[in-house]
Formats: sequence, structure tokens, C-alpha cells
Amino acid sequence: MSSILNASQLDASGRRIVVDPVTRIEGHMRCEVNVDEQNVIRNAVSTGTMWRGLEVILKGRDPRDAWAFVERICGVCTGTHALTSVRAVEDALGIDIPYNAHLIRDLMDKTLQVQDHIVHFYHLHALDWVNPVNALKADPRKASELQKLVSPSNPKSSPGYFSDLQNRLKKFVSGGQLGIFANGYWENPAYKLSPEADLMAVAHYLEALDIQKDIVKIHTIFGGKNPHPNYLVGGVACAINLNDTGSAGAPVNMTSLNFVLQRIKEAQVFVDQVYIPDVLAIAGAYKDWLHGGGLASQNLLSFGTYTQVPGDKSTDLLPAGAIVNGNWDEVLPVDVRDPEQIQEFVSHSWYRYADETQGLHPWDGVTEPHFELGANTLGSRTNIEQIDEGHKYSWIKAPRWRGHAMEVGPLARYIVAYCSGREYVQEQVDRSLSAFNQNTGLNVGLKPFLASTLGRTLARALECQYCADTMEDDWHALVNNIRNGDSSTANVDKWDPSTWPKESRGVGINEAPRGALGHWIKIKDGKIDSYQAVVPTTWNASPRDHKGNIGPYESALLNTPMERPDEPVEILRTLHSFDPCLACSTHVMSPEGQEIIQVKIR
Amino acid sequence: MALEKNLTPEDSHERVRRQTAVYVYEAPVRLWHWITAFGVLTLVITGFLIGRPPPSVSGEAIDHYLMGYIRFAHFAAAYVVTLAFIGRIYWAFVGNHHSRELFLVPIHRKRWWGELWHEIRWYLFLERTPRKYIGHNPLGQLIMFGVFVVGMVFMIITGFALYSEGTGVGSWQDQLFGWVIPLFGQSQDVHTWHRLGMWFMVIFVLTHVYVAVREDIMSRQSMTSTMLSGWRLFKDDRPD
Amino acid sequence: MSNTETFYQVMRRQGITRRSFMKYCSLTAAALGLGPAYALQIAHAMETKQRTPVIWLNGLECTCCSESFIRSAHPLVKDVVLSMISLDYNELLMASAGHQAQAALEASMENHWGQYILAVEGNPPLNEDGMFCISGGKPFVEKLKKSAEGAKAVIAWGSCASWGCVQAARPNPTQAVPIDKVITDKPVIKVPGCPPIAEVMTGVITYMLTFDRIPELDRQRRPKMFYSQRIHDKCYRRAHFDAGQFVERWDDDNARKGYCLYKVGCKGPTTYNACSTVRWNEGISFPIQSGHGCIGCSEDGFWDHGSFYDRLTNVNLFGIEKNADRVGMAAAGVVGTAIAAHAAVSAIKQTTQRKKKEAEQERNS
Repeated sequence: MSSILNASQLDASGRRIVVDPVTRIEGHMRCEVNVDEQNVIRNAVSTGTMWRGLEVILKGRDPRDAWAFVERICGVCTGTHALTSVRAVEDALGIDIPYNAHLIRDLMDKTLQVQDHIVHFYHLHALDWVNPVNALKADPRKASELQKLVSPSNPKSSPGYFSDLQNRLKKFVSGGQLGIFANGYWENPAYKLSPEADLMAVAHYLEALDIQKDIVKIHTIFGGKNPHPNYLVGGVACAINLNDTGSAGAPVNMTSLNFVLQRIKEAQVFVDQVYIPDVLAIAGAYKDWLHGGGLASQNLLSFGTYTQVPGDKSTDLLPAGAIVNGNWDEVLPVDVRDPEQIQEFVSHSWYRYADETQGLHPWDGVTEPHFELGANTLGSRTNIEQIDEGHKYSWIKAPRWRGHAMEVGPLARYIVAYCSGREYVQEQVDRSLSAFNQNTGLNVGLKPFLASTLGRTLARALECQYCADTMEDDWHALVNNIRNGDSSTANVDKWDPSTWPKESRGVGINEAPRGALGHWIKIKDGKIDSYQAVVPTTWNASPRDHKGNIGPYESALLNTPMERPDEPVEILRTLHSFDPCLACSTHVMSPEGQEIIQVKIR
Repeated sequence: MALEKNLTPEDSHERVRRQTAVYVYEAPVRLWHWITAFGVLTLVITGFLIGRPPPSVSGEAIDHYLMGYIRFAHFAAAYVVTLAFIGRIYWAFVGNHHSRELFLVPIHRKRWWGELWHEIRWYLFLERTPRKYIGHNPLGQLIMFGVFVVGMVFMIITGFALYSEGTGVGSWQDQLFGWVIPLFGQSQDVHTWHRLGMWFMVIFVLTHVYVAVREDIMSRQSMTSTMLSGWRLFKDDRPD
Repeated sequence: MSNTETFYQVMRRQGITRRSFMKYCSLTAAALGLGPAYALQIAHAMETKQRTPVIWLNGLECTCCSESFIRSAHPLVKDVVLSMISLDYNELLMASAGHQAQAALEASMENHWGQYILAVEGNPPLNEDGMFCISGGKPFVEKLKKSAEGAKAVIAWGSCASWGCVQAARPNPTQAVPIDKVITDKPVIKVPGCPPIAEVMTGVITYMLTFDRIPELDRQRRPKMFYSQRIHDKCYRRAHFDAGQFVERWDDDNARKGYCLYKVGCKGPTTYNACSTVRWNEGISFPIQSGHGCIGCSEDGFWDHGSFYDRLTNVNLFGIEKNADRVGMAAAGVVGTAIAAHAAVSAIKQTTQRKKKEAEQERNS
């Protein structure tokens, strides 16, 4: 475990590789690296290449509408911004929501976590490990045996199942129209799975495509649609009616509750029988590829989530906390309201501050878009061939926690939870590590195992399992609460803007699928005065700051060997392990009131 | 009447403004006026309730049709007012020359401008005595055209455009008026403008009624009764 | 390309019998609102055609359209991607990245010039020379224009590509524009919604593949099959609207009975979409059924029509936002007051004049 590298220590002399667009992510992103003679990455530059201006647009709007605007920050982690937004507004206005609403929101949030993690692993990430062309060489009988070995309880394991799939794949490939698999890196030795494992993974790619659309129907029950389910300030809009006239036409009734429970159970089965075994099998095959840790061993941040007792953050299933300088023995408390803790810098971002050595807390954020390329840029303003990372180089800002660049995401949540002594998490992680060591005959320690690209991918799978499991608890808690006579779903005492204070401010936090998410709002005269979101990918994809601190993406790419520098499989692998999500939003308003724009990219 | 018909309007100005009765509003015009008056009243009340429905009724949905009736009344009144308006336009061609006042504003006549100025001064309390008119005074005429006629056309077009949303693509309402919706942006924009149009008409009605009553009292000719009997009575024999 | 499979071969290979294949065709015909006679036409098309190349571009967007697309249940998206179309370029799902991805795009355009369908998710920003959305180091708008040149038809997925959507809401800082502002010489089919319903997306595609023509469009260039009626027209709560039964406050008794959401701002009466008929996620529910009003996400500029919870739109006059009733009532109030004042002055004047006249008459007599 090396200590944290500074930008000044990087060697940008080697061959430059440009990847633009980075695909299988949300939004638009560019990545450039320098490799040395041994094809090891020695310098990495990540650039967010889009900007939409959402928070400029929010100024002056009704705070009760904000959730819908910010929900459109991202359609992949759909709903998580909406949830964070209603929390921010409720915090500003002092609204407590009914317990049923709390549970339904948690159910929806976990639904997203489960569905999004599955889609991420199978559809956005798997092709970095799995070679579908290689699957053509597989022996279906052996694939069947492999399937029975890695997941004895999975019923879809017959040789016929795999040979049918292989035939379909053969026809597809031989037709000459390769579609989404065209120009993949299928000859690259970076792919290490056996043909049988590849065939099994392709089968699960297609199964996952089917199951994800079913799991997400829980959103459809409570929020009416997916992507972009509906939320409500003060609770949830889906009224409960189990036993009265009109129940059949009510949003939450016995049939819809049954439907939800059914989907939860299906999700549990898929995660236990397919997802977790697949991740462990892939980890086993790539046992020598424990690269891509970067900041994961050093600086980690979580805002905490899944509060069991509303209002008491100490009851979070996945707790809040920060780890810095690689000291896993100490989890530091995090306060999102403290202006000294979370600050954003722009010295390498396409924005302007009066003093770019200073960071600003989101409540006081002042930024102005300023697209400008450095002198060492190759190409032109509208045809960038090589970016100059010595100057401004990204639409993403650089958030820091007490000056540290921090990794956020499932892995950060899991390490913080592990180090905070959460038993469920410790048990899951320990079980996985021992399975890995057992399968591979290695004796890898906890830190190098978790703090890696594979560790990030594994943490996501484990979290998916945790969420699917505890959703059932939430479902029972909801039914219990209704049984005890509480059918309330919304608190409308402060619905009317005339009941609001003249000025107020609030913050909403959440742990989105990709990591710590915060929305900071100021309300004045019933309208949004300023709105700012610092989203997970702002943390993870952040460019450098004025002190040369490197963000998680860039840091994770360093020291990774590449098989063929022209084919960026390894770059994609590590970037994808963060699940990049680059759609973005803007901030507004200097304290003087002139319109100044600030941008956040996730 | 016969005498009057042979005269040019210019002649009649001088001749007939004695303390006599002149037949101004023919029966179809009067009928149209009152149909429109009650129709617009119905449209405003029901239209207001469509945008802001009354408190919910209790009981089974099958036992009630409150919004349905409100909307039915609105649409029925809309058809009546529209057909009456079309009839009124027809009458402008075949009726007496007063029947054209609403649609043709004689902005090319110098005298008309002078009288308009006079009327404005009269309403600003700057003229001590009003003038006599057989039909509308110039200010009245201008407002009848600029506010009422234009307002009606706007409400009919936007109203039928909204109605076409219910009758569906391909219906005659859609073919004639469907283009209005994309012109305004989207359905909700048309709703908003139609609603603003309603308030515009409310303001017209307020002013119209007030002015008619006031003129009845303060001017030198009859007003409200004219719209009932058709005859305009002058209160004195002094020249204009 | 003779060894390219047709839909029929694909379906047979999946173990589907001729009989079920025909049944699928008639179901598809029914779903598209076509008569049974069309089933044979569909069957014929599926038996003979190769997969149509589709190039899918992403501009300023949130990827909700792609996410919605992969929720499609009938047809399943795996069958769409593996068997019906050839998704030659799609940044969310494609294996390759960077140069190899660009090469895949160029190869598909070259090999299928004039034949491919261009599907666009999101829109191009024009400010800052288009550099608010960069792809391959260049403004996205360049890529969009270039890809449109050789397209047979262009599909605008979602409200971003169709109308502008959230990034184009006031004040539209990036000057994001709907794609038909930059693609002016091709038929653009608008499939609005934020996002559109999954089955609407795959329905439009399958219609185009099956009949080899673009669907019939309305004035705003939306397929009539899905966008010719308002959500309100087919809402299961419509009976409560007609009866005059409304949710008055969130979570009141009426909300629990499933009454009409009109008074809490439902935009169903002004929104053209198939939510109340096709419904969402395999027909499970739709926003109104889940208790929240429609926010009108398939309508042009739905972000700038006042709060999602107001029945009446805000009117933005001279920078002051008030809803139409407040503007109207205020104006009527002003006029009413003016009338009252005018009447008072008139009355005083009338009285003084009469008194003067009486005095004159007295003097004269």
C-alpha cells in the first residue's frame, strides 16, 4: 500500500492514450493516461465532458417542485436525487414525515440500489471481465458443471440451457452484425475467463436484463413509473387503503403489497444465486489483478444511510463516517453543515473563483463557468486531441473533505461500516475474503483485497445483497405499522407556503448507488434562493486541486499495467468499478445576488 | 325608418337627433345581445368552476355527474354563443347600418376621431355635456370592436381548440382549430390563455354594464331600454 | 449478408413454434391498433428482413431514455438488441470505447448509408461553441449533424430530444435545443416523455421495422398511435372527475379512495401520452394510480408551466409569476374599483349639475 501520490510526483513523459468517449457509463467522460515502457499507467487524467446547468434553472422555483428537476440529474440512479431533494426541503422547513413514508422511501431507495447494482455489474461492467466471443468455444456440458459448482442452488444450469444460448450467440456473431459487441477487445489477453465461465456470464447478462425490469416495478407501485418515479415533500403520494371502500383503486392495497413482497423475494434469489457467485467466480479468475485501489485504501467518505429509527443517524444500517490517510482504525465523524468540512475547489475545473486557492462550502458556493484550455493542449478549442491537465480540464469540480480527496461509493460505505463494527457487513466481507482465498489458494489480507477494482465490484454486490435482504424487513415493518392502526403517508401541515418561514436553509443527504450525495438548499419567500448538489461522481471523478491532490478515478488508474495500451480494457475496468455517472447540474447565486453559475457533475 | 334609410349617416346626424325615437337595434340584434349576455354569464361561471372545481361531493361516483354537468353547460353555452355570433355576423350584412358598427370602425373619418376625443374627455369629466348618438358613441364602438369582438373571436378559437382535444384527432373541431395548440406551445398554454381571456371578458362585462347604466342616467339618450325595445329616445332637442 | 437471420429464424431458433409465432404477430398487430389482416404482413416482414442498423446517440441528457428502453417487456429488450435491430452504436451498452467506439460508429454509417435509423437521446447545447457537451474532443452537435446525414429516419427519444426538457427550462444556460432545430432535412419522429414508456419506445421501433415506414405522425410530429389522446381521456379515475370528487389534500380520505387528482395539480388533462392506457413497467401502474398527479413530462416546456401542484398555470408577465386567476382577479378588481370611483365622481357631478340647473331655472322663473 503506497501512500497517496501528489500530482507533482506523476510522470507524464510516456506515451499518451486517449479514451473519449468512455462508454458504458452515464453521461459523457474522457480519460487520458500516460504509460511507461512497460505499459504501466504513470499519469491519469479524467475529464467530465458535459454540463447542463440544472441548478441555475432551479432558482426562483417552488421548493416542492425541486425533486422533479434534480431527479433529472440522472436517469440511471433515478429517484435518489429526488429523495435527497425532498429531504433537503423537509430539513429547511422542519417537516417530519410519517413512519410509513419513511419505510416506503427506504423500500424505493433500496429497490434502486438493488436494480442499479445489477444493471451496473452485468450491463455496464461485465464486458470488462467477460468475453462473449470466447463463449462460442465453450462446452455447454462443462458450463453446466461450472454453474452447478459456483451456485448449486441455481436451477438454470442444464447443458441444454447453455447450448441453446450458445447457438443463439453463434447465429448472432456469424450474422456479421455484431451490434453492441462490435469492435470489442475480444483478442486482448486481458480477458482471463474460461470459455465456459464466459458462456455462463453471458447467460446471466441476459437474465439480468430480464430481472432488473421486474425488480424496479416496486418503484412503479409506490412512485407510478420508472425511470423517474414521483416523490412528495412531506411524505409519499401513494396513500394506503387496505380495507376500506375504494381500496382496489388506491395506490397501496393488499395486492400491491403482495406484488412488492414477491419482487423482493425474486431479487433476493437472483442476488444469492447469480450475482454474488458470479462476482466471486470472476474475482477468482482475476486473482492476480488486484489493481485499481487508489484512494480506497486511504481516504473514504460515507454520509450513512438506511436509518432505522427516523431522526437518529446512529441507527443507520450503513453508518456515516470518514477515514483518512489509510487509518482504518479510526472512523471520523462527518458534519455536512460544517463549512470547514466539505469544500469545493475549481483550480482545475472549468469555473472561476475570485481566489482559486480557497474552497467553498456548498451553502456559500460561488462559481462561474469558464471554459478555457491550457497552453499545452493539443488540437483546438472545439477539437481537443490532448488535454492539458496543468490547467483547467474538466466540467467537474473538486470537492474535498477537510482538504482530502475522498473516495465514495459502495466500497467506501462498506469499509466505513466494517471499521465501525457493523456485524452484518463484517460477516459478509469476511465470508467473501475467505471464499476468495480458498478458491485461489492465496492468502490476501483484508486491505489489499477490498482496496482494489475487484473490491469495489464486490462491495457493490454485497451491498446489493444487504439491501435485498433488509427490504423484506422494511416490508414487514410497514405491514406491522399499518396493523397497529397507522395508515398515514403524508404530513401536510406545512404544505402551504404561507406556513413557511421567510428564509430558511436545509440539507438533504443520502447514500446514492454511487456514493455520498448531498443537496443544500436555501429558501426565501417561498422560492428557491439557491440549490446546490454535491454528487458522488463529483467526489470520485474530481480533477486535481490547487495543492495537487488527485481524485479517486485518477488515483485508481495509476500503476496499473496494460496488456495493449491501444485497447483500454484495464482503464475501463477500473473506471467502471466506480460506476461513473456524469450527468450534471449547476449552482447559482453569489451572495450579492448576481447570477453566478456553479456546476456539479455526478 | 324609411326616411332614415334614404339618408347618409352624415345627414342623419344633423336631422334626427331631436327629442324623438329612432329605431336602432333590430329584433335579431336584440335577441343576439341577450342570448350572448346570458351565454357569456354561463360560460364565465362554468369556466371558473372548471378551473377551480367546487368542494368534492360525497358518495359513489356513479351517483354524481357534477363536473360533467358543469362542463356540459359550458360546452352547450359555447355552441349557443358561437352560433349566435355567426348569426350576428350574418346580420351585419343584411341588417341596418347600425348592425355593422361592431365590426367596422370608421377610423378613416375625421369626424369620428373628433367625437372619440370628445368622448374620452367626457369620461375624464373634462366635458360638461355629452353628445348625442344614435348607435354607439365612438369610444363605445372602439371598445365593442377591440375588446368584445376581438375577445369573442379569441375565446371561440381557443375554446374550440381545447374542445377538439376531447373530440379527438380528425374531428372537425380538430381540423379547424387543432393548429392553435402547437401555436401556443402546448395544451396547458391554451388553457391559460383561455382563462386569461375569460377574465378579459369579465372586465368587459363589468365596464359594459356600468357604462350602459351610467349613460342611461347621464347621457342624452336612452341605453338599456334601447336594447329591449330597439328604439333610442333622446332626452332633449338641443343640437349636438 | 445472406447469413443474417430474419426475425422468424430468430424466433424459431428460440424454440418458438410457427403457431406461437403467428400468435405473436397478431398480438403485435393488436398492440399497434391494427386489424388482424396486418398479422400476416407482420409475419411476412419478420420472416424476410435483416436486422436494421440503429445508431443511438446521447447528448445532454440523464440516460433515463436508455434506462426506460431496457425496461421493455414486450418485446424483451434482449430480443430487440439481439434479434430485431443491430444496435451498432450506443454508449450505454456497447463494449468498445474511445477510438474503437468511434470506429464502430463510422463503420456502421459507411456500410449502411441511407439505411440506418438514427435514435437520439438528449439534445445539443449551442452555447460555448457546443462545448457544454463534448464527445471525442469535439462538440456533440457536430457528431449529431454528421450522423443524421446518412440516416433513413431520425427518432427523437424523450422530451430532451423532442422539446429540450430540463436543461432547456428557463433560463436555458447552455442553450440546449431540440434536435429538429439542427436536423432540418430529415423526418424527425418525436417520442416525448421523461422518459417515454418502454413499450412505447420498442413499439415505435417495431412498427418501423415491421412496416418499413415511419408511423403516422400528428402536428407535433409524434406518433399518433401513442400520443393522440390525453392521459385524462383514458384515466381510470375519470369517473371521479366527472362526478366532482377530488383529492383535496395529500393523504386525505379521498386520496385513499382513489379520487381524481385534478385539484392537487394533475396535468393529465393537458398531457398527450399513453400512461393511462399502456401504463408503466409492463402495465403495473402509472403516476396517477400511484397517487401522484401527472407532471406532464411529455409536453413541450412542461418545466415552465408553474408548480406541478397547481391546477392553473403561472403566467410570467413582466417577470412576476402569478397564476391566471390571480392576474384576472387582480385586473377585474382594479377595473371594478376604477368603475366604483368613476361612478362616485359621476354621481357627484350629476348632483352638482342638477343643482346648478335647478338654481338656473329658479333664477329664470
